[in-house]
Amino acid sequence: MKLISISLRNLRIRLVATVLTMMSIIVATALYAAILVMAEQTEARYEGSIGGFQAIAGPNGTSELELVLNTIFNVGEASGRIPLEVCDHLRKSRGRMFRRGQVRYAIPQARGDSISRFNFPVVATIDEMFSKFEWRREPLRFAAGGPFEYSWDQLVELANGLAAHENGTRAEVDVIPDRPLLQEEWRKAVVGSRVARSLSLKLGDVVTPIHGKVGEFGTHPHPEAACAIVGILEPTNSPIDSTIYLPIGIHLLIDGHGSGVFIDKLIPGKSPVQLESMPVDPMRIALTAVIADPLDHMGSQILRKQFGSHDEAQVAWPQDVVPKFLRQIGNAADALAVIAWLVLLVAAVSITVAIYNTMNERRREIAIMRSLGARRFQILAIITGEATLLSFFGAVLGLVACHTAQYFMRGTVEDLTGVYLDWTIFKMWELWLVLGVSGIGAIAGLAPAVKGSMTQVADNLAQNY
Amino acid sequence: MIHLRDVQKSYSRGDQTVLACAVDRLDIESGEQVALIGRSGTGKTTVLHILAGILRPDRGEIEVAGARLDKLGEAARDSHRGHNIGMVYQTFNLLQPFTALENVLMGALFGCGAGGDAKERATALLEKVGLAERMHHRPSELSVGQVQRVAICRALINDPLLVLMDEPLGNQDKATGGQVLDMMLQIASDDNKTVVMVTHDPESAERMQRTVDLATLRGDLAGAQQ
Repeated sequence: MKLISISLRNLRIRLVATVLTMMSIIVATALYAAILVMAEQTEARYEGSIGGFQAIAGPNGTSELELVLNTIFNVGEASGRIPLEVCDHLRKSRGRMFRRGQVRYAIPQARGDSISRFNFPVVATIDEMFSKFEWRREPLRFAAGGPFEYSWDQLVELANGLAAHENGTRAEVDVIPDRPLLQEEWRKAVVGSRVARSLSLKLGDVVTPIHGKVGEFGTHPHPEAACAIVGILEPTNSPIDSTIYLPIGIHLLIDGHGSGVFIDKLIPGKSPVQLESMPVDPMRIALTAVIADPLDHMGSQILRKQFGSHDEAQVAWPQDVVPKFLRQIGNAADALAVIAWLVLLVAAVSITVAIYNTMNERRREIAIMRSLGARRFQILAIITGEATLLSFFGAVLGLVACHTAQYFMRGTVEDLTGVYLDWTIFKMWELWLVLGVSGIGAIAGLAPAVKGSMTQVADNLAQNY
Repeated sequence: MIHLRDVQKSYSRGDQTVLACAVDRLDIESGEQVALIGRSGTGKTTVLHILAGILRPDRGEIEVAGARLDKLGEAARDSHRGHNIGMVYQTFNLLQPFTALENVLMGALFGCGAGGDAKERATALLEKVGLAERMHHRPSELSVGQVQRVAICRALINDPLLVLMDEPLGNQDKATGGQVLDMMLQIASDDNKTVVMVTHDPESAERMQRTVDLATLRGDLAGAQQ
């Protein structure tokens, strides 16, 4: 038998009071841990996810943060469009804007559709996403299958065909060139690991894009764009896992997109109506973003300078934008952490009150132990031990509650914020949190412990309860 | 074993001082079994608490089991009590949430330590008093006689030099309690332990080797009560 056995027994015989008091510790610890986990995993997620996205070209008029959040983290909607020529210029690395080669790759992306009730975003792109794009300096790997084939040249050819048809329509000529048709061999999709896992998808399964997101106004399916899955990506623990990649040709030929796939170039003195009747350039095909990887520091400086004065596009640098964003999140997390500490303080006071209130009824029990030879410090240790154990178990259960909540809410949190909560990760700070909360509990137990240790032995032994 | 000289203890009650006990001289030798008797209010329990080191007298010399308790601080007296003195109370004072075995072990915990062979000793003691089958029962699940035996085992767990008993038959029928008391005295006698029992019950006192009336120890202090 040890002193701790007596402390444990005392907690057990006052089970209801113990559980109720412990609840406040559990809530406080779980709250604090959840805030830390969210802040930490958000930071890890956002910092880890920018590998591979060195520069993102997107439309002017939107914030860099919005552009980065939408393109990398699938958060929010694409708030504008840029013409294909921006991507073309980047790829050719020439022209008036660019005087030297400055990017390794420039990959066009078009968004706006989604799949399933989870609203997994559909990204229409070209096959270079799987051959040239580098995720943390390595190409995306496939867990099963492989990439679809849809090249830049096919995109340009399609753009020419669409432009010819559109120009014929606008000019109201007798023989309008046919609108290019969606080719059966394009109906192929590559899905991220989480998409495959959540929807139990395997190679050969068919996915049907939905315009917009489930639950939004105007949402409708695109059965004509249904694609068979040809590749499932390995997990990256990034938003790539929650993405469906389709050939951009499908996106451009989906029913209803029609002339909306072009962006009319603004010409001074021309009204929008007049612009709609003017010929379109194939390179005015609309994209939502271009992912580019500058060759070197010089390349990025040139991009910065040239996009700084571009009249339709801007370039965002995730390495600059994300840390600023995280600092803002960090400030919010700090504020929430203060609240969690206040809850913990209240919980500590409740421990003091709960144990202090038992001291009167325990005078005889303490006197008996003292008569058996217990020193004052041993009584102090027993009562402080009760508070410490109460806090310790509360803290441990609080962490368990936090991880359990992560397990059950990881999908919802990812859908809402793009942050994947990995409930299996235990960090060293959790151990410190348990020790810290236990320490606070020990301090909370001091007042009743001192009162208990001051119990008069002879007086209380004489009482016959 | 026990030597008391000119010991006096009083309490304040409002603006009055009440003399609780006064002992001119008391000597009890090692291995003796002595009954301290006296009418209610003569300070029997106070003397017992002074011998245990629970109370410190206002004055006087107290030597118990080789230690001058009047010169020791509270922690030292607690330690001395835990190691050298076993106590049996009128109400037995077992802790209700703990089993018989745990109650006995608690005596060891605050005495010589509950580690090592303490559990074997506790088990052996409980078996010796016939509680082998009941050692995992709580006091509320035991009869008064069984509770008394657990209290005796707890008093003996540290192999004390001195056993102090406060009205050990006060709460039970004389026949059953008497048998248990005889058992206790026999164990103490076998191990040459000193036993001091305070009682107002002549029948209990007769079981002891010697009886001391506290009134006779008060001497010229007998009239000092104010």
